[in-house]
Amino acid sequence: MRGKYAVAILASALLVGLAGCSGSGSEPAADGDISGDLTYAIWDQNQQPAMEKMADDFMAEHPDVKVTVEVTPFTQYWTKLQTQGSAKTLPDVFWMNGPNAKIYAPSGLIEPITSLVDDGQIDPANYPESLDELYTIDGVQYGVPKDFDTIGVWYNTDLLQKAGVPEPTADWTWDDFKAAAQTVSDKLSGDGVYGVVAELTGQQSYYDSIFQAGGYVISDDMKTSGYDDPKTIEGLQLWTDLIASGASPSVQQLSDTTPNQWFTSGKAAFYQAGSWMASEIAESPIAADVKTVQMPAEEKSATVIHGVANVVAADSQNKAAAQAFQAYLGSKEAALTLAELGAAIPAFNGTQQTWVDSEPGFGLQMFLDATSYAVPDPESYNTTAWRDLEYELLPQAFSGERPVKEVADELAERMNALLAEEQ
Amino acid sequence: MTRLTTVPRPAGDLRQPAAGPRAGTPVRPPRRRSRRSSQRSLWGWAFIGPAVAGLFVFYLWPLVQTAYFSFTKWGVFGGSTWAGIANYQKLLSDPAVLTSLRNTIVYTAIVLLGVPIAVVTASLINRPGLRLAKLYRVLFFMPYVAMPVAVALVWRLMFNGDFGIVNAALAVVGVEGPHWTSTPGLALVALGVVGLWASIGFNMIIISSGLASIPQELYEAAQLDGAGGIRIFFSVTVPLLAPTLFFVVVITTITAFQVFDLLFALLGAMNPAMPQTQSLIYLFYSEAFVSNDKGYAAAIALLILVVIGAVTAIQFRLQRRWANID
Amino acid sequence: MTDALRQRSRRRAGIGSFLTYLVLTIGGIVMVFPFLWQIVMSLSTNSQVMSVPPTFWPGQLQFGNFVEVFQKIPFFDQLWTSVLITVLRTAGQLVLCTLAGYGFARMQFRGKNIVFALVLSLLMVPPQIYLIPQYLIIQDLGLLNTALGVALPGFFSAFGIFLMRQAFIGLPTELEEAARLDGANVFQTFYRVMLPLIGPSISALIIITVLWSWNDLLWPLVVTTRAENMPLSVGLAALQGQFSTDYSVLMAASLLATLPVLILFLALQRRVVQGLAFSGMKG
Repeated sequence: MRGKYAVAILASALLVGLAGCSGSGSEPAADGDISGDLTYAIWDQNQQPAMEKMADDFMAEHPDVKVTVEVTPFTQYWTKLQTQGSAKTLPDVFWMNGPNAKIYAPSGLIEPITSLVDDGQIDPANYPESLDELYTIDGVQYGVPKDFDTIGVWYNTDLLQKAGVPEPTADWTWDDFKAAAQTVSDKLSGDGVYGVVAELTGQQSYYDSIFQAGGYVISDDMKTSGYDDPKTIEGLQLWTDLIASGASPSVQQLSDTTPNQWFTSGKAAFYQAGSWMASEIAESPIAADVKTVQMPAEEKSATVIHGVANVVAADSQNKAAAQAFQAYLGSKEAALTLAELGAAIPAFNGTQQTWVDSEPGFGLQMFLDATSYAVPDPESYNTTAWRDLEYELLPQAFSGERPVKEVADELAERMNALLAEEQ
Repeated sequence: MTRLTTVPRPAGDLRQPAAGPRAGTPVRPPRRRSRRSSQRSLWGWAFIGPAVAGLFVFYLWPLVQTAYFSFTKWGVFGGSTWAGIANYQKLLSDPAVLTSLRNTIVYTAIVLLGVPIAVVTASLINRPGLRLAKLYRVLFFMPYVAMPVAVALVWRLMFNGDFGIVNAALAVVGVEGPHWTSTPGLALVALGVVGLWASIGFNMIIISSGLASIPQELYEAAQLDGAGGIRIFFSVTVPLLAPTLFFVVVITTITAFQVFDLLFALLGAMNPAMPQTQSLIYLFYSEAFVSNDKGYAAAIALLILVVIGAVTAIQFRLQRRWANID
Repeated sequence: MTDALRQRSRRRAGIGSFLTYLVLTIGGIVMVFPFLWQIVMSLSTNSQVMSVPPTFWPGQLQFGNFVEVFQKIPFFDQLWTSVLITVLRTAGQLVLCTLAGYGFARMQFRGKNIVFALVLSLLMVPPQIYLIPQYLIIQDLGLLNTALGVALPGFFSAFGIFLMRQAFIGLPTELEEAARLDGANVFQTFYRVMLPLIGPSISALIIITVLWSWNDLLWPLVVTTRAENMPLSVGLAALQGQFSTDYSVLMAASLLATLPVLILFLALQRRVVQGLAFSGMKG
């Protein structure tokens, strides 16, 4: 049920939102008696300045509240939260993603936003419906959507020019993509430049190509893996091919030097990555040469869409203050702060254009247009369990160590076993 | 009598010759003895009490808890239920356990190669009249002092397959270097090299002091017998150094078995070579805190305990045999 | 010995010592090279770090990398936290381990052997095993995100007790007897007479504890979540996890994190070497 309908709902909701239906940002209730120290945990250092600005603005309105922003790298973020969750010492307010919401909410660790909605501090209608839905578990909403992200291709015009490759257009296909990347690698190999790089984790590479090929990662009823589907395997094959032909650096090279390092140091022409890279790329030395284009299509165009939400810990010592801050983070004012600093596409309907305008040179509109063909991040109840399997097995397919089909079949089998445990 | 009351002796000290003052008082007054022994106990416990209490609270009891956890299945955020031996069954059938055990052993073996290197450098540094001995000692010891995370980051950069200095050096002699830290198999070697590099200094210092305690006369005697340098090394130095070497090998093994920080920073969490490189401790960490299967992680922890215990026991057994042969 | 023989042996000694210097110098360079490389990289630009062939010396020294470290992590807060953790843990261990070591070495009382066997058995347990229960204790004590919370479990050390016991056990009995004849009680005997005699072992304990506590990663990684309450090791790991961090900045940060202990070591190197050598002999 989730898959197709969610896309339709998401797309329509976003289009309505983008058309300028700006809700009247719900003002946080001006009750002066909230106080206490709050911790706000996030994982993206690029967004830290925006989060601190929001915290400052909130504290200006509530002088008795002190908000401290804590940044933990993504790879350590969930580890730390799980430990804190076991000890009931979660940060008062923190970022949540889709897969983990399905773990944290049923455990009673995060506070529903029902009371905030009831007294009018938060209006879910201000956000794309699909994002509200992502954080609604068994009919109760737990998070206030903060932002959303889609995937696209960032490219370095300078390198394309040197290689004599024309800039891609929105209607390009996998074949165009492979040929262009291959040409760059061939022509500029002397400078150690490659055609394309991407982070070989689902969201920014193979989930997109699986959907573009017409495959799926997990069935709509969340009971079966899609990895043994021939079209899914086709989606994986794209990356194996790009690496095998030398259009992309090898799995090892992408591990030794991260894709963003390859791209921002001018050693890769195409970089398939999320919209949230905007501020980092804007600060890199190649910023002036960078443009974006939607990902190439195979059977169809597709991108993964996902959004982060702000949640409040159920055990927060200063829950009133935490919820007031959560409400503020969901306000239009906060969304505009986020957009102006180019940190991420704000979830608040009608504020997205500000984000597009924050870096006029990149052509960021593409990431908003991508919502028309977006597919939700594939998830089940215990997503992290089978994502670990992907990280363990798929590199063997991408590196050519084992045939893609063999690895995909093994992955499907083991993933199905995990999914059966979930039921 | 004064001596008898002031010198604390083991309670069972009745094998004294049946002469002297004690012979006159064959039966000790039981009350007095027990008071003295309870006062002694009081002092003893006062001395060891605080430390032992802390060890109990922070180590021994947690160890028991972990053992209990190994028979439970954890929810994501605590709330465990009895699982019987399910975790141990999983332990036996999980290929990752065997792989990481093998990795740990290979890593330890590589690091142990540092012991002979440490013996050689220590004997060179201990050569009488060597100038700059102090400087050499400092140079060799620096890696041991440095923060593992920090040095792992440097090594990671040096091992980088595309622009690392290691491959640049190999390129000079015409070899195209691999991607050390991200290729399965090689990553374990790279890790071992860093571990070896970091451990040599400590081993060298210990062996150095072991060497210094060998009486000089033995060397002179061997020289008079016309033995050459290498023969002296094997017939005088090595046997007399045996206890020190034993200590160094045991400590190095135990430390190497617990490798975590180096691995964590040298490879990084998303490294494709991690499954073929991870150590037992890393497996424990990722099961406990990443996959969040704390019951299973506890079972792995106990396996680690058993393996380290077994290896140490074997080493002690070997040492005894070695000592007997001497 | 004939002249010819003497000359030959002198020549052989000459070659021998040349080889000695050669081996030690090459070895020394290998050992110290990563540190030199770290310094060079911390003063380069990111593109120099990634250049092929490598840039051995950046034309213009990029001290800005160090400035960026101060901008990205609260360096001085973390330095202070590291110092505090190290001092607390070392002081705690010093008091508790010398007392317990003395108790185990020089006193007879009921239950001693069994307790000591337990202590010994703890020596082999990898510290990660205690992680979860210890975290729960520190949390119950309300000590998360504090230096004391990080340091507290480290006050107690089976290794420290063992080291101190080995040091005390080698001392002659006559000293205690003399002290007792002078009217000293057990504690006074320990404190005034015996303790001053195990100086080298104590400095070994201090050195090892300082190193462990300064360099420890996993435990403080779990206990501290706020950037300003983290020790440097955790701050460094966090900086590495931020994938947008430049290599050169990372090198600058790792250099800064290692530097305090390296300087301490260079200043006290004779003592450190002696102390450790001593601990080896005792163990």
